[in-house]
Amino acid sequence: MNAKIDFSKISFLIVDGDKISAQVVYDTLAYLGASHIQRVKAPNDAFDVLRTEKIDIVICEWRLRGMDGLEFLDVMRNSTNSPNRFIPVIMLTAHSEMRYVTTARDLGITEFLAKPFNAKALYSRLVSVITRPRVFVNTGTYFGPDRRRRQVQFDGPDRRSPDE
Amino acid sequence: MTHFDWGSGAVVKPEETKKKKNVQIIPAQTDLKRRAVNFIKGFDINLSPEQLEELEKVVQKSSETFVRDIGTDLMECRKTIITALNDKSKRPAAVEAAADLAYSVKALGGTFQYPLMTQIAKSMETFMADRTTANEKQLLVAQLHIDSLYVILAGRVTGFGSSVEQATVAALTKLTERYESPRE
Repeated sequence: MNAKIDFSKISFLIVDGDKISAQVVYDTLAYLGASHIQRVKAPNDAFDVLRTEKIDIVICEWRLRGMDGLEFLDVMRNSTNSPNRFIPVIMLTAHSEMRYVTTARDLGITEFLAKPFNAKALYSRLVSVITRPRVFVNTGTYFGPDRRRRQVQFDGPDRRSPDE
Repeated sequence: MTHFDWGSGAVVKPEETKKKKNVQIIPAQTDLKRRAVNFIKGFDINLSPEQLEELEKVVQKSSETFVRDIGTDLMECRKTIITALNDKSKRPAAVEAAADLAYSVKALGGTFQYPLMTQIAKSMETFMADRTTANEKQLLVAQLHIDSLYVILAGRVTGFGSSVEQATVAALTKLTERYESPRE
């Protein structure tokens, strides 16, 4: 028997100033069965929603008016005023060059989806966020999901081992 | 500090003070998974090709809106640029409008089977990025990009086009390199 995802149990917030892009994501989520989907154009509106409603996953465009998606992410992860520092954030952007990906990763992005995207790519990011939650790492310079995604053999000292 | 212990007669080295680790590992939040993952209701974690096809159809539902809205935006942006060619005070607004449009088309073209538009828009976006204004020739380069995008959209040229279209993309990119400076 295959494991399934019941999207009706999950609430989404789409933060995207582009009408068509937001609509595509909305339609996809609605088709999957999500019944609680909020759409806003600007980060400030997103914070209002996050403070008043229970949102499980944020899908955010990088290029936004006023505060951009990265600043939004930075506030979400690092500000004392953050409504939820642990919320999964999927960053959608047409800035798909490696330097953008690493910048977003180092600010605590959960998943990165380069535009133009297709349904399969969006679905795989949703599945990853829901079924493979990652531990969070808090250091002096980083707060966010563990950036080590690949399990590779490492022979050096484990700096993350618990204090003896 | 290392010292000599007179009792045992040995040189005693102090215990190395262990560097305090300042990394905190917080367990993964599994609430979402517990709530949504089950074996009865919803979509399979691994969608079948048929299910993916259905999902892609949902995405393509907005294709007509894309063609209509971007078509309108391209026409408006073209007008703004033509106005700015004769009025220097309107150039910053024209540059901003062109940069926004380039980003939108780059982001969405490929999603709706217009990857050629994404290619041209990428060239335009790189050209417009970090500019606050543009000179006459630079505005004309932007206008050529917009005209090309419009032709592709009007002709519904899906896919990457033929060698002619690819030559156009290459020519536009060369133009952007030629008129790159000054960047104000």
